[in-house]
Amino acid sequence: MILDISFIGILIGSIMASSVPLILAASGELITERSGVLNLGVEGMMIIGAISGFALMVITDNLFVAIIGSMLSGVIISLIFGFLTQSLLTNHVATGLALTIFGIGLSAMLGKNFVGIPGKDFPILFESLKESIPFFGPILFGHSIILYFAFVLPFLTSYFLKKTKLGLIVRAVGDSPTSASNQGINVILVRYCCILYGGSMCGLAGAYLSLIYTPQWIENMTAGRGWIALALVVFATWSPIKVLIGALIFGGITIMQLHMQAVGLRIPVQFLSALPYLMTIIVLVVISRDSRKIKLNTPTSLAKIFYKEK
Amino acid sequence: MPTDLRVSNISKIYPGCIANDKVSLQFKSGKIYALLGENGAGKSTLVKILSGVISPDNGEVFLNEKSLKLNSPLDAKKNKIGMVFQHFNLFETLSVFENLSIDTNEDNKNLRVKINDILKKYNFSIDLDIPVLNLSAGQKQKVEIIRCLLRNPKVLIMDEPTSVLTEQETDELFISLKKFCDEGILIIYITHKLKEVLSLCDEVAVMRKGKVVSVSQTEDEKIETLANKMVGQKLAKIKKKNNNLKNKVEIFKVKHLNFYSNDPFETNLENINFSVKKGECLGIAGISGNGQNELFQILSGEIITSNTSIIFRNKEIAQLNPKQRREYLMAFSPEDRISQAAVPELKIYENVALNNFKSSNFFEKGLVNEKKIKEHSKKILTDFSVNTDNVELKSQFLSGGNLQKLILGRELITAPELLICYNPTWGLDVGAINYIHETLLKINDQEKSTILISTDTEELLKLSDRIAVIYKGKLSRIMPSEEVTPEKLGVLMGGGSIDKN
Repeated sequence: MILDISFIGILIGSIMASSVPLILAASGELITERSGVLNLGVEGMMIIGAISGFALMVITDNLFVAIIGSMLSGVIISLIFGFLTQSLLTNHVATGLALTIFGIGLSAMLGKNFVGIPGKDFPILFESLKESIPFFGPILFGHSIILYFAFVLPFLTSYFLKKTKLGLIVRAVGDSPTSASNQGINVILVRYCCILYGGSMCGLAGAYLSLIYTPQWIENMTAGRGWIALALVVFATWSPIKVLIGALIFGGITIMQLHMQAVGLRIPVQFLSALPYLMTIIVLVVISRDSRKIKLNTPTSLAKIFYKEK
Repeated sequence: MPTDLRVSNISKIYPGCIANDKVSLQFKSGKIYALLGENGAGKSTLVKILSGVISPDNGEVFLNEKSLKLNSPLDAKKNKIGMVFQHFNLFETLSVFENLSIDTNEDNKNLRVKINDILKKYNFSIDLDIPVLNLSAGQKQKVEIIRCLLRNPKVLIMDEPTSVLTEQETDELFISLKKFCDEGILIIYITHKLKEVLSLCDEVAVMRKGKVVSVSQTEDEKIETLANKMVGQKLAKIKKKNNNLKNKVEIFKVKHLNFYSNDPFETNLENINFSVKKGECLGIAGISGNGQNELFQILSGEIITSNTSIIFRNKEIAQLNPKQRREYLMAFSPEDRISQAAVPELKIYENVALNNFKSSNFFEKGLVNEKKIKEHSKKILTDFSVNTDNVELKSQFLSGGNLQKLILGRELITAPELLICYNPTWGLDVGAINYIHETLLKINDQEKSTILISTDTEELLKLSDRIAVIYKGKLSRIMPSEEVTPEKLGVLMGGGSIDKN
């Protein structure tokens, strides 16, 4: 392994790319959870987004349609979750688990005819700058538009929650739906919106995988990233910026441990593969151990079923 | 313009209970109206209808002779009806300012100016930028009131506002309410506390079992007349007994009770010593937060302290946990019925089973003996006149009074030698309080002892044989109740001293 400056730049660039789906899905789920809804269907929504995006790309040959379609598919599948939990008052955990299982099964069925079809090149921005500037070039340039969006998203999310009226309403609903309802806020509507937004971001995260990161359809290609995203939200104590940090650490250690395996260090492979999970949890627990902040950020009514007094 | 609020023939029926039965009332601005009734009389239902949280099955609400459609809390707000709920409708994790800004369309700068004006005008002091969960109950209530005032209300409804307040906070609240009233806001004050009605309100409507049973001027009423209207029967006056305890044996003795805590929210206890005789009721008075919580937890075994000696029936029990202490026939009734004494989500019989011990045989070979527990629970429900016979009912649906009866029943049905209770009648209505006082006196008559930790001086004077005051973790001299007066207690509770001889 040659540890020169340009190699490190490329390494950081690839770490950023690998953390994009986590950032997208976790940011979406964070909004959902801040409104008091626990949607464990992230993995399912991502995989549905992945196959819809890929299938639409093959059928229409239009990447824009594919991206929008993947987000819509995430919205549709999360609408099922929203209807069940908000209108029929089913248990959030059970419904979310069912959604994941359903999503994985459905995507495998839909994806049968798309296995083995090669993907298309996704346009990348500032390609010339990437080559010409050492170190910073591969970090800052030559990525897809989705990556830039993903890295801005946590900051937008943070701004939305802290500074805007709508964000305040989302937090209020997650804190105490009964109080919110008594203040005249339509709790069910707010929660539906948050669920659908979360779904669209998970769909986009899936499409990033099948259209950009590894441009092809492989069954079960999300490979547990949805669960990691869920865990990130919790361990980041519902703070968007910490989600970003967590996703980068996870992506970083995943890539680095692959390199370490390749070099043939005398560390058991199993330990190396477990390293990203361990380190992400340790770091996030350490940076968010302020119990007062945890209390303020945690949506008090998370996963509790709300029904209006009549 | 004066405000005239009228409800006409309001009915609301829930399965198995008529919450409001053709309620008609009229309110006019410039006066403070009391809506008085026991828990479950239908007061809260009526104000929930007025504030648009629930809609009535029948009847109409008129504001200045205009019929109102109150389908949602928004409708009430639009019609300038403000409401401060008994259980605060605040967002604990949001800041005070965020709580206030959530339902206005004003921009933040103007809103801040407006809020500061209100703070100044009514002499409230609240930091706008700290989260609500850091506020005291009194401050939270002020936030709710400010939220109403921001909308220039014509009507302000207060639902049992003093149940969570200290006495000083209550005084402050009354001053504010009188100010609002002078400014032309119509105030409807819901309560089951008779004294408050007499000291604050101009007119009083009494509700019982969903119906309005009387409307009168408060100057024509006395505590007794209001209590009788509220409960619906002549309340038997409980007589203070005069036990001769001279020749009785000491059953319970605490020596060198010390407790030091690092938690700033806990009070340290310093060298507490006392004893209780057979058949005696020892009262421990004090303003809440002076160490009663810690004392109760040490006496019940939730906290074990070293070097303390607790002798009960000639055995040293200081190192035993609550369950073991129960085996020795002690019983406990903690202050917080919902979070300490019972699990609200569990059914009645499951709550009863929580208090199992060896002799009860509720569990056999690790299995629950449901039939036995249910029989046992039924007996408690009838013996202690809990207002239901359905042991499958979830405990959270019991009113405060009935839940307390259930808890006391659960504790007493094992015939304990000593009952330790902390604020047993907190937040209950007159009927339930009376019943519980009678029960506690009966225990003493049966030669069993009680330790009554309470913040209610009247209750202590009524029930105790001897009284001590706890102040900042120290216990005063223990006095026979004959020589105690409310004034003396007041001085001791405030940290003063009374001269002996």
